[in-house]
Amino acid sequence: MDATILIFILIYLLTILVSATELAPLSVAALGGALLTAWFGIQYNVFTYEEALGFVDMRLLALLIGTMVVVEIAKRSGLFRVLALYAVKFSGGNPAKLFFSVCIASAFVSMFLSDPMAMLLMAAATVTIAKVLKYDPTPYFLSATIMINLGGTSTLIGSVSNMIIGMEANISFTEFLNYLFVCEIMLWALTIFVLYIIFKPKLGEKKTLPEYKPLESITNKTLFYKSAFILFLLVFLFLTLENSGVGPEGVAIGCAILALILSKLDPAEIFRELDWETVFFIAGFMFIVGGLEKTQILTDISTWLFQMAGPSPFNSTLMTLWFSGIASTVVSNTAIALTFAPIIGAHVFSGLNSSAVWSALILGTNLGGATTPFSGSVCAMAIGALRREGISVKFGDFAKVGLITTIIQLSFSSLYLIARFGLIGV
Amino acid sequence: MINLAKIKKWFGSRKLKRERTYEEEKREFEMAMGKPFINIRIEIPDGFEELRALFLSLEKDERFLEEVKNLVKKRLTYERQGLKPPS
Repeated sequence: MDATILIFILIYLLTILVSATELAPLSVAALGGALLTAWFGIQYNVFTYEEALGFVDMRLLALLIGTMVVVEIAKRSGLFRVLALYAVKFSGGNPAKLFFSVCIASAFVSMFLSDPMAMLLMAAATVTIAKVLKYDPTPYFLSATIMINLGGTSTLIGSVSNMIIGMEANISFTEFLNYLFVCEIMLWALTIFVLYIIFKPKLGEKKTLPEYKPLESITNKTLFYKSAFILFLLVFLFLTLENSGVGPEGVAIGCAILALILSKLDPAEIFRELDWETVFFIAGFMFIVGGLEKTQILTDISTWLFQMAGPSPFNSTLMTLWFSGIASTVVSNTAIALTFAPIIGAHVFSGLNSSAVWSALILGTNLGGATTPFSGSVCAMAIGALRREGISVKFGDFAKVGLITTIIQLSFSSLYLIARFGLIGV
Repeated sequence: MINLAKIKKWFGSRKLKRERTYEEEKREFEMAMGKPFINIRIEIPDGFEELRALFLSLEKDERFLEEVKNLVKKRLTYERQGLKPPS
């Protein structure tokens, strides 16, 4: 193997190792790796400075930042809190109803909020209601964590990995829904059912819920309605503008500007609250993967993998699903998406087969994210929040539930992909 | 030389920010679903500086807290009856 390829692979592996072990923050690990890639790449003439400038996909960053601004303003308005409050109120103190409400609300808010932010919101709601009703918060908490991870899979903007894959594969908002919406609904129902079976004995008894009005928690009603309108507009434009040549990043940035104008909030404060850690991690990691692409190693891996799978779309789809699913149980799903997207992109598929493989990658990278306490930041946060409330969850207890749900989700997704894309007998 | 203590502090501050956000969210939910509460900042009155220690101990003084609660009850009772609270 060429020495330069070896250096680039080492930089990639070192970045993964440093970020997975949290020796340094994700962003610092990726930016450090990007700096080394730039240095060695230009020194050894793997790429030119001008070529390196194109490694970072600005469209992806625009989509990410635009969506973050819209969602940050919606969060400040209390929109998601009101949703969570209504979900709890709907239960009327019935533990089974409360369990279903918490699960659905968790998945729903995570369709818009980043997973860590959704976790903070749902953790606060769950702890409070568990205290009021004197329930053990653990089953609600762990179920919310798993549902937050699943909820992020549901739309193009639901998770960062979806945005990465969507941009690389040129999958529009409606195409995304067309391929995966039915699967997502069924996965939600199946996962909630499995979690209910696991936690049913620990949910507690029926209690009287205190009277409260969710809308009373809103201090600025004008901002609340404006935020709801802009969020609705964002989804509406994603669905309707795709044939007019405006990309999702244009819609996201447009809505972000509109949100900043209409909300009248201090933009500096909004920008300060954005998840820059993720933005810089993605920028840095894209650069590292861009460098790897220049060495042709990703094309070689792609050829090797799909040769191994053979000409059958059945094998290549299921291999992508399970391989990315298992990999994302240990490595951040953003890193998995950034690595696998160019590998799959380098392979030429015909017609529907490419949609099947891309859909498999979307499902795989997301579903592995809540298998163990170390699978994603959202899991670590859930464990940390429980510890703050004086409850310790053992690694094995979390992993048992996470492993069961992940295997069921990946197995169901396999069946769905086979049926949806007619993979048998092709 | 790399200052490890500074780096450690920087890493720690990221965790603290999340913990603060979590506590803020929890407070919002407690206010909406549980018993609402208020936090009041009271500074030591001018001319009582020599009683600083005693003043600070009031924060955990059960009898004092009970007196404040009674004051709140009295105020709310006046408001409920539509009477002007005594100044």
